[in-house]
Amino acid sequence: MSDIWINMGPQHPMTHGLWNLRVRIEGELIRDVDPEVGYLHRGIEKISEDRHYNEVVTLMDRTCYVAGLSWEHLYMLAAEQALHIDPPERAQYLRVLCDEFQRIGSHIMWYAAFVQDIGLMSPFLYGMRDRDLVLDLFQSYTGARMTYEYMRVGGVRNDLPPGFTHQARKVLDWLTDRFHEYDQLCLGSTIFHKRCDNLGVLSGKDAIAYGVTGPMLRSAGVKRDLRKDRPYAVYDRLEFDVAVADGADVTGRYLVRMEELRQSVRILRQVLDWLDHHPGPVLADRVPRWLGAPYAPVGQEGYLLKRRFPTGVGFSSVEEPHGEAQAYVVNQGGEHPYRVKFRSPVYSNVSAARQYLVGYHVADIPPIMGSVDVCVGEVDR
Amino acid sequence: MTEELTATEKPSDNPVLYVARPMATAARQFAKSLLRPSTIVYPYERLEDPKFREQVQVASGKPIGVGAVWDNYRGVHALNIATCISCNLCAFSCPDLCIEMVTVPGGDPKHAKKCPEIDYGKCSYCGFCSDACPEGCLTMTTRYELSTPKRSEMVYSPQKLYEVYRTKLPMNPIRLERPANEDSILLDPPLCIGCNACARDCPTQCITMLEIPKPTAKPGEKLPKRIWKEPVVNDSDCVRCGTCVSVCPKECLFWGSRR
Repeated sequence: MSDIWINMGPQHPMTHGLWNLRVRIEGELIRDVDPEVGYLHRGIEKISEDRHYNEVVTLMDRTCYVAGLSWEHLYMLAAEQALHIDPPERAQYLRVLCDEFQRIGSHIMWYAAFVQDIGLMSPFLYGMRDRDLVLDLFQSYTGARMTYEYMRVGGVRNDLPPGFTHQARKVLDWLTDRFHEYDQLCLGSTIFHKRCDNLGVLSGKDAIAYGVTGPMLRSAGVKRDLRKDRPYAVYDRLEFDVAVADGADVTGRYLVRMEELRQSVRILRQVLDWLDHHPGPVLADRVPRWLGAPYAPVGQEGYLLKRRFPTGVGFSSVEEPHGEAQAYVVNQGGEHPYRVKFRSPVYSNVSAARQYLVGYHVADIPPIMGSVDVCVGEVDR
Repeated sequence: MTEELTATEKPSDNPVLYVARPMATAARQFAKSLLRPSTIVYPYERLEDPKFREQVQVASGKPIGVGAVWDNYRGVHALNIATCISCNLCAFSCPDLCIEMVTVPGGDPKHAKKCPEIDYGKCSYCGFCSDACPEGCLTMTTRYELSTPKRSEMVYSPQKLYEVYRTKLPMNPIRLERPANEDSILLDPPLCIGCNACARDCPTQCITMLEIPKPTAKPGEKLPKRIWKEPVVNDSDCVRCGTCVSVCPKECLFWGSRR
């Protein structure tokens, strides 16, 4: 039988977005794969060079549409380093609060999409229902459900509304029970194990060679988490464990993400306790005027350059729900960043597709690619 | 894994159990959803209804109170035309360039009053404009229904935004404080010609032209041809809109720190 190339995508239920997986098959067997990305390229890095430092957050929310706040945090860390601004302590805790709620939202979204890939409909609805609670919490203090625009250079936009921590604790209690049900529905079913065990194996050595990060790397037993290895914000003051599984297969990735959900709840309880007892400012008071909401109007760039604001370079890396995201911001004294560069974790995870797809069957592609948690907005930027 | 799986989470080899257990979980969820649905019947029920906001008690598991539209939701803008000072800051701060300043009736005859006109086809609801507004006259409301059969109706004129203001929807209560070390408008005295353009166009009238002594010309020296006045900016009234800097014909006004 001769080999043929087939296109899975750009419009295919497996892709969860707009990308194309070209597959060379021999009968049902996968011989070769070739992921094609770039359909959603918007040139966010280039647009950032034409925006004020604060305005870039509007792009960050659209970079990854299920983990917008993690990307805002990533950019802000790099921008603050480049501009020599320190955010206040309470703002850092609020950012961790955002990060971890975002991780819960993103992982539940992944769970909903993944179980639908392996043919379960009810858990999909449960996942979407429970994620809405997290989105409602976001709306209560950022003002939007998906495009938050919450973080600013030097802190965050506003403080929490009264009664927020009470509501958040109730949501966490409720979600903890749901995580147990998620496991009952998937791990408690032998069908799930027959479908997902030893599927899409990517060994730790290969994962490191391809730059694969996040839950995919940790499912191979590699204990690598930037929140522990290179703590940013206030993660060094919080207690949590790094979720690791062995097996490096689809089940392993499921186990890692479910454990991360529980660890996020654990972190959030500590953060909410801290926020209850430590009021304070949420925005640094030494923020230069040209970063604030009203900007220097047209024709001001020359003066700003003449004043010689301190130049600098900022680099940050953040453990995003999908893996390690990195940002690089160059400040040459103007009111726009001179250059902004982002590293997307999913781009590397998808690039290694040949390693974990070849040798399996065509019907295995949806669960394997589902376990990768592809977010195309972030791959193409 | 740090946590051992409980008995119900372990897979069973008994074919009856491995079908029955997940089905039992699903049945439990179904029963709960009959008691208290997770969705609302949208056109008849609305998220801003008081019943979603006031019920903070947990009915059957789902925490209610989240699920309502909160006051700081960033929806359609509301504009109070009466307090707008035409400072242009909303238009300057818009990342999507969807705000245009258009003339509205009112204001003194010399200077037309200009208020923001917002194109909701471009707007990304980031809220930078309402953060920038120094008078608090441009705010965002909880209104979220925008669908319209005509594209031209996506453009909200100042009058239409004022109608939104008059509906008394909950307004975004968050007001940003101005940064403590905000830059001021500074003057480069040798360049100034005393033309009064800055004081004339200042929306808050915080610039006054003060007379400066005319120097006596030394023999052979020619004095510059100018009006012997200089602008003085009242920092506490200044909203930092930069209109004076833009209109200055000699580029002698600039941003800077007094310290």
